[in-house]
Amino acid sequence: MRLYDCAAIIRSKNAGPFTVTVDIFFDDPAMFALARGSRLLTAAGVAEAYGVAPDTVKGIYWDERILAAKVSLLRWSSSTDRFCADLFGAHLHTPLAAGVLA
Amino acid sequence: MTEPHQPVRILGFVNHIAPAADIETHIATAFGWGVDVVVAQGTGSDWGPYWLGSGEQVAANQAANVRPYVKAALAHGVPFVFSFGIAGADAHLEACLAQFDALCAAEGWDVSIGVVRSELAKPYLTAALTAGAEVVPASDGAGPAGRLSVADVEAADRIVALIGPEPVMAALERGVDGVITGRALDIGLFMALPMLRGIPPAVAAHAGKLLECGGLALSPGDSGQCIWASLDADGFEVRSPNPAATASVRSLVSHTFYERAHPTLEENPGGCLDLADARYEPTVTGVRCTGARWIERPYTVLLEGAKREGFRAISMLGVREPALLAQVRDWTDAAEKTLRESVRFAGAIDDGRLRVSTRIFGLDGVLGPAEPEKMVTGHEAAVVLDVVAEDRALAEEAAYFGFIRLFIGPYPQRKTTAGNAAAPFMPVVIPVSEVYSFSIYHLLPLTDPVAPFPAAVTRFPRGRDDRREGV
Repeated sequence: MRLYDCAAIIRSKNAGPFTVTVDIFFDDPAMFALARGSRLLTAAGVAEAYGVAPDTVKGIYWDERILAAKVSLLRWSSSTDRFCADLFGAHLHTPLAAGVLA
Repeated sequence: MTEPHQPVRILGFVNHIAPAADIETHIATAFGWGVDVVVAQGTGSDWGPYWLGSGEQVAANQAANVRPYVKAALAHGVPFVFSFGIAGADAHLEACLAQFDALCAAEGWDVSIGVVRSELAKPYLTAALTAGAEVVPASDGAGPAGRLSVADVEAADRIVALIGPEPVMAALERGVDGVITGRALDIGLFMALPMLRGIPPAVAAHAGKLLECGGLALSPGDSGQCIWASLDADGFEVRSPNPAATASVRSLVSHTFYERAHPTLEENPGGCLDLADARYEPTVTGVRCTGARWIERPYTVLLEGAKREGFRAISMLGVREPALLAQVRDWTDAAEKTLRESVRFAGAIDDGRLRVSTRIFGLDGVLGPAEPEKMVTGHEAAVVLDVVAEDRALAEEAAYFGFIRLFIGPYPQRKTTAGNAAAPFMPVVIPVSEVYSFSIYHLLPLTDPVAPFPAAVTRFPRGRDDRREGV
């Protein structure tokens, strides 16, 4: 099952010019639990989904109260680069969203 | 500071986004609950370095957006606090103040405004650096690296600081009708009046974090709507003035995630806001928020500086020919190769005065090399040849050369020998703009958070003499 299909909301945005953060909100506690136990939502899994080095993944955080996860990583290309294609970072959730939860 | 005896009530919105059509009704609702200050942010780095570097102002008409809020604040005799100008340097602030002048004149308002500029002059920064200030990078592992140098300062086109609450507090203490700043920390605008009235920084900062994007923290979220909170010494209650939206625990906690790398820790000038033990409890009218902590830190302000990197010109082509779609990246690679190897451009490319990139929307225009799809899967695609050169003439010449190679360049099994693709725009080369980078993204330590950012109390609409002097 893809993360995209498990999440009610999955969104990305800059967190400062050089970091992108992906917020994932679940409606179903079972889906939250599935995501929390997945390899995809580990530093190694996130790095693989984006094809970046694991040490550029700054953190993966969970909030049980609102069934949410947050993934923050350094931008590999940001608004300071001449040819950045996503200045606001609003479409950078897509590689993670396509990832499969075990 | 004094002990707070009464709650401090804030009406918050976003002033770079146009208000919803029904906003005056909701503003009236909020004032019915009571409002002590109206606050809205209108600066940010999310737009990238272009605006800061160029000095141009985003066409947001921020003065027009604040009109219904200023009208209500003046009618009730409460102050307003706005940051203006997106990039928020002097040129951007002045563009907004000129619009605010016109607004005041049209409405017949005569108001005193504490104007706080947050652009830093190069001599100020070079003097600080020469005196030994340690100005370290604010981002870890991306963005400008290394301590700020005098050379960095000299190379930048424009430098701003994200001012904290203190310069706004100093301006409010002068009894003005409103405070308008350049680039500022969003939550600092919200913290200023509560802190003046004795609300603890933890409560003020936590409230600021939830209110800074206006109605976006409500459900459904909409930055064109407003948001209201009542702060006391222990916490605050958030309400939605718009009855079609609600403040819910989920909407508020979700909002603490928004545009933040960490969900519960946030470094600010003079302190870190820690929400690890924050509590959110539904009330009859909204949500009560408590439990934030403020951990004192040495006082620093974030500096943002932009530096010119060149001029951009683009050329765009539509592709719908199946044989070409099947090999579209090979075709653009061939055109780029011809450009790179031509005697007219090879030297400029070798020494970095000319850079070329081709985006193919329909293939990898969004993700670039991270795109897993390697073939066009739809029936058409858009090719954008993107050229950044040291000056406009070189950028346009290289883009035109590239356009011609794409338009007439041969490719295997070509049947389209009269022209390869559809040109939607004439001129086929579109001059875009100067190009800038964020060359400075550093933390400047300050012993006095107010001194570099004094308020100039000014009456609006400003007189002819003021306008001529550009004050």
